Parts: sequence; structure tokens; C-alpha cells
Amino acid sequence: MTEAALAGLVFLPLLGACLLLLVPRQWRTALVLLVVVPLPVLLLPITAVVWQQQAVQMAVAGHALPLGIVWRVDALSLLLLWLNAFLLVFVGLQALTRFPPATPAGLRFWPLWLLLAAGIHALLLSADLFNLYVTLELVTLAGIGLIATSNRPAALQAAMRYLLLALMASLLYLLGVGLIYAEIGTLDLYEAGNLLEPGLLPATAMVLMITGLLVKAAIFPLHAWLPAAHGNAPGPVSALLSAIVVKVSIYIVWRLWFWTAEGWPMPALELFLGLLGAGAILYGSALALVQKRLKMVIAYSTVAQLGYLMLIFPLASLLAWQAAGFHLVSHGLAKAALFVAAGNILASLGTDRLRRLAGLDQRLPLDVFTLALASVSLMGLPPSGGFIGKWLFLQAAWEQGAWGWMALIALGGLLAAAYLFRILALTCFHPRSHGHSSRLREPPSRASLAGLLLALAAIGLGFASAPILTMLASAWPGVIAP
Amino acid sequence: MNLAVDSLIGLGLVALAWQAISGRSLFRGIVMFVVFGLTMALAWARMGAPDLALAEAAIGAGVTGALMLVALRRLVQLHPDQPAEPKRARSRLALPIALLAASLVAVIGLGAVSVDREPGRAGVAVMDNLAETGLSNPITGVLLVFRNLDTLLEVAVLLAAFLAALAVFRDQEQAPAPPRGDLPLVGALLAIIVPLTILVSVHLLLAGSHEPGGAFQAGAVLAAGGVLLILAGRLQPASGMPLATALPLVLGLLVFSVIGLAMMLTGAPLLALPGLWAVYLIEAAMMISIALTLVLLFAGASGLRRERP
Amino acid sequence: MSSAVLFVIVAALLFGIGVYGLIIAGHLLRKLFAINIMGNAIFILMVAASGPLDGKPDALPQALVLTGIVIAVSATAFALALMVRLYQLTGQASLHNNEGGDD
Repeated sequence: MTEAALAGLVFLPLLGACLLLLVPRQWRTALVLLVVVPLPVLLLPITAVVWQQQAVQMAVAGHALPLGIVWRVDALSLLLLWLNAFLLVFVGLQALTRFPPATPAGLRFWPLWLLLAAGIHALLLSADLFNLYVTLELVTLAGIGLIATSNRPAALQAAMRYLLLALMASLLYLLGVGLIYAEIGTLDLYEAGNLLEPGLLPATAMVLMITGLLVKAAIFPLHAWLPAAHGNAPGPVSALLSAIVVKVSIYIVWRLWFWTAEGWPMPALELFLGLLGAGAILYGSALALVQKRLKMVIAYSTVAQLGYLMLIFPLASLLAWQAAGFHLVSHGLAKAALFVAAGNILASLGTDRLRRLAGLDQRLPLDVFTLALASVSLMGLPPSGGFIGKWLFLQAAWEQGAWGWMALIALGGLLAAAYLFRILALTCFHPRSHGHSSRLREPPSRASLAGLLLALAAIGLGFASAPILTMLASAWPGVIAP
Repeated sequence: MNLAVDSLIGLGLVALAWQAISGRSLFRGIVMFVVFGLTMALAWARMGAPDLALAEAAIGAGVTGALMLVALRRLVQLHPDQPAEPKRARSRLALPIALLAASLVAVIGLGAVSVDREPGRAGVAVMDNLAETGLSNPITGVLLVFRNLDTLLEVAVLLAAFLAALAVFRDQEQAPAPPRGDLPLVGALLAIIVPLTILVSVHLLLAGSHEPGGAFQAGAVLAAGGVLLILAGRLQPASGMPLATALPLVLGLLVFSVIGLAMMLTGAPLLALPGLWAVYLIEAAMMISIALTLVLLFAGASGLRRERP
Repeated sequence: MSSAVLFVIVAALLFGIGVYGLIIAGHLLRKLFAINIMGNAIFILMVAASGPLDGKPDALPQALVLTGIVIAVSATAFALALMVRLYQLTGQASLHNNEGGDD
């Protein structure tokens, strides 16, 4: 039962992508729904097993280690699978209006979208270092292909830059995988964790893999490709890229760090990764403050918010782990909501330049409301999901007397409030109502609803924190805090 | 003696790579890149990896080179009067960074090869379990049996890359112009070469079970036949994707997935193939999909139509 | 010096050339040469690094490299399509800094 569900997560979207190219035009919408809607249902039996047994594991093609590839789901991967399922359904709702599957634009968009979904699922299931490389490539190429569907020069330029950097990053990762295999003769990341001894070559391999992944995750100072790519992609694509695609690379870094390299003494590196996070928070927020376009503000906000996910390395405690996992999900939902709303605004105004957004609250109330709600979570105001994540981070830092990190987390929240209030002030409280252009196409109500539901989920996450945190605790590998 | 041959190959690789990067014209760069790929194939053969030699020659040099050439031709067609290449960036840091990267890789690599290692555990397991599969080429064993999820997802990567390319082509590309007035020999030549490519690719496909070869190499050779037909104007890029194109395009993924999933119904693990026939069937389907994908990428279109000479 | 050591040195040089080419190249086609050359360097290292098995190189890394080659050609094909389109729209086949983009 669970095995079938695991297979379904990968093969349903994969086959869906193939069939979309084959079926008559009028069936395409039904096919898309048939693929996307069952995904959360498939997660139910898996969740039940993980809840009871902490993890579910299966050997693909039935070959035992070290010969075959193993799929393994624990609470962390499960959490990301849920996030992805949520995003696919709700962001998909907007995508259905932007790219109706029956149109040529829809035929360009949906097969790539479903391949991206299959890639993310296969990545989250996989426990094999090389298989992770293949899934990363699938995610990257499908994601960049989706950016390129926009077909505007700025988007294509961003896609090209992203592609070149991603290819280099993959090579670094691949070299690391090769070295690990040379050292211990296995590719399973958990088995490698048992066999690898800290040493020069394994450490080199680890550094190579993590560097490659940090490029793909756009962690400061390797973030340069992200704002243009996420800021110029079509609305639903920006949402998915920012909310999950960059996160899955960090997810692999976590796996490598806390499982494969478990217990290696690397205090300097821990601090260094944490400082990268600090750089990301400060630099990303500062640049978000000075952007002139709404989607660029949101994209730079992603650069900043990804920084928090790096704080787990220096803090390295159960609390910090829960904080990072929770932040990942709440940011994913809030960011998707922001990009969906921004996409709707851009589509109806024809521009997302901030100075043209004055007085928008009267014209697109639902989308502006979504912006406001998602901002509440992103700033970390109670009772939102974002609040819980940042509060746990503060607690984790407090617990260790890490005043520097505490100050950083607080400052990050303030900066987020600053750049988000700037948007809200412009859209809602702007005294002049100039900039009204007569051209305004109302976004389809389904598209606005999609953003609203995501924003509500980001807020509502704050009320559902207990089971999520309990499950996250079950996946903590138990590294003892320094 | 062997070391002398290897040194010569190594020297050639470095020189060709340098020429590709810094050679005068882009066209020359592509030629150098293709020759580099062929030399890589030699290097793989010298390193005892004939499967990789074949793949490198067919895919690394052949397919990549053809795609690069056709891309360059499109660039020239778009703006014939424009100088083809923008100025190179002048960076004082380029050389130090490159040297640093090279020495880092040298240190890592030498560190890795200098230790006498135990044979890789997974590699040993492959040899121990190969007999059960009925295959005698261990690489095909890994790709189609032991780690076939990698291969399935790799075909998905190729599909994603093709769809992504299609999203930017948008059927607006100029079709590669057919040669005006068919040369008398072209027809006869095609009549020999195209069946030959089919024959070679089927051979590569079947050979893959016991000697170097496999679906990817076979697909690349088959694609070469298709590319010839396009160059001769017998196949023309077309817009729209009829079922007759779409079905073979995704056939590999479909057959692979359906067989892999059907096994679950019988209680077997996901992707555990029922026998050697399934391996051949999947490889044949993948070969067709790979070849068609590559031909369409070359044509820069979502479909093809036949043109009578 | 064994052949393995020789090929590792060659791989290191190729990687360096690739990095150099990537930095100085103006045209995207050259950048793609560079990345593919770097890829080949990595592939050599992967096969050379793992120890031999019964006198022959280990089959597993070879299979991984074969997968890597196909992925490299897929990515290159997409990059080429992207380059042609960029050139068609902007008249340039190189990267420029205009991240904010138009609206």
C-alpha cells in the first residue's frame, strides 16, 4: 500500500506529462486534475506509516544495498512532500487560469510542470547520492524550462544564467559523489554515513557537494542568479521555484550534513555556513528594500529568508532543527502566496513597478489582502506560521546563549517588516491615487482565490504547529549541541 | 609504450580543449570541440571503458557537435551581417582562478588515485549479481536492472530538456533550408546510409547486453540517419505535434514506467523487470524516443513531415 | 607514473581550461564548450578515482558517467535553443547585467 503510494508520487506526474502530449486537447484539463488532485491523497498512507514508525523505506527494483537504489521517507522529507502537494494544488489553480491546458501555451507549460513535480518527488524520496544528482537535474531543467516559457528577453537571459550556473554546480556535486563512491564503494547516503570516517578526501567530497548545492539553493554569496530568474518567471513558476525548488537543494545539504557527515568535527565550517546565512539575511533584505518592482522585492526576500535555513548549522539543536523545518514550510506557503498575488497584479496591470501600485487596494482588494496576509507570516507576526519558525529560532539561540544569532534573527524580522510594509504602504495607504491606469484586467477569481488560500495556510500553520513539530523531532538525527 | 600513447592522447585533449576555448572563429571552435570529443573516446578506450568510448563518440562528440553546428547556423541566418562573436571579457583574475581550479582538481584527483583501494562494494555486487540478469555487460546491468531508476529519470531529463527547448523554439525558427535541386547522387546515397544507420543502431542495441552498446548509443546513431534526411530535405520541420510524433517521443518513458509499475501488481518490487525480454523491449522503446528527440532538437521543431524528392 | 595518474593530470588541466574559458568567453557557445570540457574532466576523475576490479575499471562509475554524458547533452541542447532565441530577440548571444528586467 505505502509502496504503491510512493511509486504513485513519482509515476503519476511522470506519466501525466507523457500523456498530456498524446491526449486530445479537450481532455488535457481533466488529465491535469487527475494527476494533481490525488497527490495529497497518496501522502495519507505514507504519513500514517511515518507517524507510527518514523520512516518508511523501500528498495527500488528490489536490489539490496549497496547494489540498488533505496527510497526512504522520514518526517523531514514527508513535510516537504506535503508542502509540494499543497503548492501543486493551489499554485496549480492559478496556473490553470494563466495557462489553460487546452491552449498551445498550456501544452508548453503543463508537461514541464508535471515533470518538475515528478522530479521534486523523486528527489525527496531518494536516499541515493547519484540518484539525487539525476533528480536534481530533472528539477533544474524542468524549472528553467518553465522560466523560459515566459519568452521575454529578461526571463530568457535569467534562465540562461541560471542554467549555466546550475550546470557547473551539478558538476561539483557529481565530483563529490564520485569521490565518496571511490572512498567507500556505496552511493546510499545513510550507508555512507555509517561507513565514512572523517578524513581529507571525504571532507573534500562533502565540501564539493555542498558548494554545488548552495549554488543551486542560491545561498549568499552564490545567490546572484536567483532574483532575476524568480523575478521574471511567469507567476505560478516564480511561486513554485521560490517556495520549493531552491529548498530541495538545502534539504540535500541537511541530509549530507546531519546524516552522511554525522558527528564529524567541523566547528569552523558550521560557523562559516551560519555566517553565509547571516549574510543572506542582511544582504537580501537590504536589496529587497531598494527594488523598484514588486516581484523583485519578493525574489530578494527569498534570498534573505533562505538564510535562516543555514542557521541550523551553527545552532545544531533539536529546537533549531524544528525551527528550520517549520520555517521552510511556512516560508514556502507565504512566498507562494506572495508570488501568486504578485502574478495576478502583474497580469492585470501589465506592470508590477511599485510606483504604479498606489491605491491598488481599492482595485484589486483580494490580491492586496493576500499580499498583506502573506506578509504577516513572512515578517513573523503571531499567530502565523512564520512567527512560530522565528520564535523557535530565537529560543534555540537563547538556549545556547548565542546572542549574536539572536540579534540577527530579530534584525532579520525587522528588515522583513520594513520591505513588506513598504509594499503595503504603497498599495493601501498611499495618499495620492495617481498611477491609475485605465487598463485593468480583473484577474480570474480562481487565481486570486489560489493566493488567498495559500496565505491563509501560511497563517493557519501557526495553529497546527504541534503535530508538525512532534514529527520533525522524530526525524532529528540527534547531533549533540556544542 | 602504453604510457607514450596515453601521453599523446592526453596532450591532444589539452591542446584541443584550449583550441575550442580560444580558437579564432566559433565554427573552428565547434570543430575542435568535436575532435576533442572523439579524442575523449580514444581516452576512454585506453582507460578500459569501451562503453564510454562509444557513448562519447556518438553522443558527446556527434550529437553535441551537430546540435552546436545547427545552432551556429541559425545564429548566422538571423543576423548574417553581424560579427558573430562578441569581445572576450578581459579579466586579470581568469588565469589565477583557472590555475587554482586546476591545481585543486589535481590535488583531489591525485589524492584519490594514489591510495590503493578496495574494489568498490557496489561494483563487486554488480559482478556478483550479473549472472542472474542474463546480461553479460555489467554496465547495461547497472543501467537497466540494478539502478534502472536512474535511467528512467535520465530519459525524463531528456524529455524535460526537449520540452524546454520547444518552449523557446515556438515553431518560429527558420527551417534548415533544403538544398535546391536535388543532387543526383543524394537519393542513392541516402538509400544506402539510412538503412545502414538503422542496422547499426539495432546492432548496438542488441549488443548492449553482452558487449559495449546500449539504447543511448543506438539512439544517437539512429538520430544520425534522421539528421541526414533533414539535411537532404527529405524530412522537413513542421509545427504542431501529431500523435505519430508524440507517441514515439514518449514511448521509452511509457513502456519503462508501465512495465515497472505492472510488476507491482504481481507483488514484485517497483521496476523489478520480469526478464531479459523486458530489458530489450524497454531499450528498443528508449532508442526510438531518444533518436526522435535528438532529431527534433536538431530540426528545432515539434514535428516533422516527409517531403517527396 | 601510471596511466591513471596521467589521466588525472589531464583532467585537472581540462578543468582549468574549462574554468578559464567560462570566465573569459563572451559568446555563449564558448561558455558551453567550457562547461562540457569541465564535465569531461569530472567524468575522467570519477572513473579514475574508483579502484579497478579484476584488472578492469569498476563498471558502476562507468554507468554513472554514461548517465552523466546523456544529461550533459540534454542540458546543452536546451542551452543552445535558449541561446538562439536570445539572439533572435536581443541580437546578442552573451550574458548582460539587467536583472531587474523590463516590465
